Formats: sequence, C-alpha cells, structure tokens
Amino acid sequence: MANTSDSTYMEPSDDVHAEGIHAGGTPIVYGLYDDEVDLIEAVRKANADHLDIYDVYTPFPVHGLDPVMGIEESRLHIGGFVYGALGTLTAFGFMTWVFTRDWPIIFGGKPYFSAPAFIPITFELTVLFSAIGMVLSFYLICGLGPGAAEVNIDDRITDDKFCLAFSSKGIGQADRDQFADFFRSTGASETSAKVL
Amino acid sequence: MADTLVHADSHAHGHHEVDPGPLRYTMGSATRTTLIGGVVLGIICLVLSFFQDDTIQHTRFWSNWLHNSVFFMGISFMSLFLVAAKVLFYSGWHTVFKRVWEAYAQFLPVAIGLMIPIVIGIFMHFNHLYHWADASALAEDKLLAAKSAFLNPVWYAIAAIVIPAIWYFVFAVRLRALSKDEDKNGSGDFEQHKKMRKTAGIFLPIAAFSSAAVIWQLIMSVDAHWYSTLFAWYATASWLVSAVGLTILLLVFLKIQGYFGQVTTEHLHDLGKYLFAFSIFWSYLWFSQFMLIWYGNVGEETVYFQTRMEQFPFLFWANLAINFVLPFLILMANTTKRKLGILSFVAIMCVFGHWLDFFQMLKPGILETAVHAAHTPGADSHGEDLHMHDAHAAASDDHSDHGEEHAADAHGEAGHHGESKSYAGFMAPGLIEIGTFLGFLSLFFFVALGALSKANLVPANDPYLEESLHHHV
Repeated sequence: MANTSDSTYMEPSDDVHAEGIHAGGTPIVYGLYDDEVDLIEAVRKANADHLDIYDVYTPFPVHGLDPVMGIEESRLHIGGFVYGALGTLTAFGFMTWVFTRDWPIIFGGKPYFSAPAFIPITFELTVLFSAIGMVLSFYLICGLGPGAAEVNIDDRITDDKFCLAFSSKGIGQADRDQFADFFRSTGASETSAKVL
Repeated sequence: MADTLVHADSHAHGHHEVDPGPLRYTMGSATRTTLIGGVVLGIICLVLSFFQDDTIQHTRFWSNWLHNSVFFMGISFMSLFLVAAKVLFYSGWHTVFKRVWEAYAQFLPVAIGLMIPIVIGIFMHFNHLYHWADASALAEDKLLAAKSAFLNPVWYAIAAIVIPAIWYFVFAVRLRALSKDEDKNGSGDFEQHKKMRKTAGIFLPIAAFSSAAVIWQLIMSVDAHWYSTLFAWYATASWLVSAVGLTILLLVFLKIQGYFGQVTTEHLHDLGKYLFAFSIFWSYLWFSQFMLIWYGNVGEETVYFQTRMEQFPFLFWANLAINFVLPFLILMANTTKRKLGILSFVAIMCVFGHWLDFFQMLKPGILETAVHAAHTPGADSHGEDLHMHDAHAAASDDHSDHGEEHAADAHGEAGHHGESKSYAGFMAPGLIEIGTFLGFLSLFFFVALGALSKANLVPANDPYLEESLHHHV
C-alpha cells in the first residue's frame, strides 16, 4: 500500500469545484493512486461500501480491473464477426459477378468461376471489413473521433497515476467527508474534485 | 517446492487460493489398466490388419504402423520444439505445465524404436511403402534414379532413426536433465535456465532443417515423383496442432484427477488460442500449397490433388472440414476457449483431424506403390508409377500399351472399387485403423505419463514460475 503523505493529500474543497472543465457537467470527486494493486483494492472496497463508482482511469489496461468493476465483456467482437462475414460475402460475391456475368475472362485456362483464385482477395476483404468496421463502431460507441471533447481529469493518468472517481452530484458535506475518508484509507496519494 | 507454491499464492492479490494438488503425478490403477488395455487393442488391430490384406503384402499393416509412428514421433518432436522455443524466447505463461511437454518429448526414443522395423523392412524389401524402395521400379524409372541420391534406404534410416536420435539424445535429454536439476539445485543465478537457453538456441535451427528432411523422407516420399517445397511446413503445422490438442486434453484430464491446481482457465485459454491459431496456420499452408499447384496446373504437381479429390474425396474434404472450418468457427469466440468442455471437444476433434491428415498424406501414395508391387511380380518391365500415369502419358511417346492398361487397371481397383475388401483401410480409416490409433495413443500416454511421474509437476525454481502462476489473459 502506498503511504498516504500529508503533504500531498488535499481535501476536496468547493474552490476546486469551481475550476471544473465544463460548468454544468457531472461533478466528481476522485483519488489518484500510485499503484494499480491499490486501485483494485480501492475498487473492491468501494463495491463493499456500496459507493457508486463514476469511472476508473488508468494509463494502461489493468488486468483484473474489469471483473472487479463488474464491466461485462465487450460485444465489439460480435460486430467484428458480422463485418468480417460481410467482407467475405462482398468479395466473393463481387468477384463471382464480375467473372461470370459482367466481364468473363479466362485466366490460365481456368473456368470463369474459380473459387480457389477468389480466396486470397476474399480473405483480405474479410480482414479489412472486420478491422475498419470494429474501429468505426468503437469510435461511435465511445463518442470518439475528430472534434470530440477531451475528457482528461488529470494529465498524469496518461502517465503513472491511477484514478478512481465518484459522482458527487447533490451530495452533502457528510458524504464528502466519507469520500475523503475512503480515499485516505485506501491509500490514494492525492484527492480532488472536478466538474466534467 | 510446496513452500514456493504457498508463497506464490499469498502474493496473488485477489486471486482465490487454489489447491495445487499433489507435487508429483502417480499413475492410478484405472489409468494404467485403461492404457494397457488400449495398447492391447492396438496390438490386436495390428495383428488383424497383418492377416487381413495379404493380396498387397500386408501393406495395410505396414502403412498403419508407419502412419501412427510418424504421427506420434511428430507430436513428441513438436513438444520438444515448444519447450526449446519457449525457453529461448523468454516465454513465461506456460512454465507451470512445461513438464507436460518435457514428458511428451520423452516418447521420442519409443518412436525411434517403432521406426526400426520399417527401416529394416525397407532394407530387406519386405514392405512396400515407398515407390523408390522398389528395386524393379528404380531400375526402370529415370525420375527415381535421379532422386536416388537422397531417396535411398541409408538416407531413410538417417531420417527415421539418426536425426530423431540426435533430437532426443543430444537435446531432449539435456533439456530434461537441466530442468530436473533446476528443481533440486536451482538458485538465483539461474544457471540451469541459462544453459537451457543455449541448448535451445542450438536445437531450434537444427530442428527446423532436420525435421524438414525427416518429413520429406518419411511422408512426402511415398509419392516419390511428386514434391512440394511447402510440404514440410504443412506437415509440421499438423504435428503442432496435434501436440497442442493433446496438451489441452492431458491438462484437463490431470485437473479432473486433482493435479495441476495452478493450471487455470487462463492457461487453457491461451492453449485454446494456440489450437485456434495453429489450425488457421495449417489451413493457410494447406491452401497455399493447393492454390499454387492448382494455378500452376503442371501435371506432375496436380496429380497429387487430382488423386485425392477424385479417388479419396472423403479424406480430402473431411480434412478441410475438421481441421479448418470447425475449429475456426467454434474457437473464434472468446468464451468457447474458456469452457473446458467445448475446448476439450475441439482438441479431440483436431487431434483426430490431423491424424486423418497424415492418413491422407500417406495412404494414397502407399496404396499405389503396394498395388503396383503386387501386380508386377518379379522383374517389372515398366517401372511405371501409377500415380504419375497421366503426366507420363502426356510426356512420353514410347509409353507401352500394356503399361497403360495395367495402370488403368490398378487405378480402377484402387479407386472405383475401393470397397473391395483388399483395399479396406486406405480410402478412409476403418475400425482397425481407429483401434490401431487408440493403441498408439495409449502407448504414447503410457510413456508420457510415466515420464511425467518422474519429476515434480510444477518446476520449482524456474525464473518464470511466478509469472506463470499469475498468468492472466
């Protein structure tokens, strides 16, 4: 467990609230951890204490975090399969149409419909459709893409800090104290508040 | 050893404690009885096949013997390859069950023993597995004569016995000894691990080249006129999928028996990925070989697939369905690789499928050689390879009518009258082939489990043990 140093430990205050990224967004309180193991333990404790986690931000994928947070397996790969199958049908169907109906040409004495010759391009288009489809789906689901608003609670969560955030919408001082206690007891090196 | 494990577990944050099970494997009496029963079944099937087909000089017996010996020698070799590759390339996830691969590699000397009767048969001419070993064919056939510098009994003995003996006695024995010594005397300087890495580094390039020669001699040369540069890769991939499949099955079996508590769904998930990925790899090589030959459309090359598609359609299509389509579709999803029932089912299917693949590589060529030998008693004046009949007919004008008729005859018997009792066990595996397979499989597991019981299941002082115990996909 990382030591809680008094010098870096800040109580969440209303002043910090005012510095929110977007006024009128979701107010959050968050703690920064130095170690992913402390973070996972904190998430566990938050679940045990029935605290409603807003989100967790980490600089890299932390193994074992998803099940602890109760995040279900992504269904993105189902999309991947569908896009891939679409690519297979597109490639095979198009080549079949071109070489049997639209513009039949004999290559190397082979029949017009030569399945083995279609396989490499079918494979390529399967991969291409699957990859592009999944990337676009991912962007769409996550609201990413050019011009998307950047949500970055603290620059250091892209470097070496692990962030656990709770929504602080409509909570009173007693709840705020409870969050402060929680962050302190779970080994957060810093804590702060923001409006996202 | 036990302390190490407890220590490791206490470090596993959030992972529930696992019961590692016994330190060592001991073969239970039920397992022993089953395996010995399997071997007896195999022997019965071999005896049955020996007396069943004397019209083609016991070739059903010899081809079954060769097929299974080659198959399990390859699995054993690929396990040794995996041990060496893993240690050389800083792999850690497999460490907890690496003794299984070490144990599989201990089957190599038995496989060499199994190859000895075949080699003797080739020298003494009492089997008819290889066209190039047929003296009368060799005397008449320019192609065979030109290849005889490599396709001859001495080179065959080198590929079947000497090269596997080098794999085993030079490398497998040393890797195994170092691994066991690490259990006993291993320390923080990882002396044994460093030596293993050196041994593996020497072994891998030697294994890569020598295994290709073994495959050319033992498998590809049944079609002595035909060759493909991709063939060694393709056969190796087939062995590799089989080795991974048997690893999954043994781990699941041992877990059911209460061993290997440290081997988790995470490890089996990764083995499932191997099964999936190498099935695709096999399919890629299969297709690359097929497509180039199909596109090139050279008679000497296409005859290989022509024979299989027209005369052995079951083998040809079942091979693709079992080894590509089914594992591809079933193992694609994340969840199927983590459900031991489905994973085991696919592993059984793939092991059988690749056994069938080797059946498909060997039997058509052997059948033609055997039928040819059976129908040309004494000095054969034609030296005509039935297999290459069409290509030859197109190429040579002085082709004798008699030879042509003769070839068509044998083709007909081998192909269209495949249900003829003489050639049972060539068009598709019969009950005798399945029984022989189970016999060799039992022998393989009897030897491998015996080797497994001679060392701790989990290597105690391997530097990657901790990583493996905490493996998370």
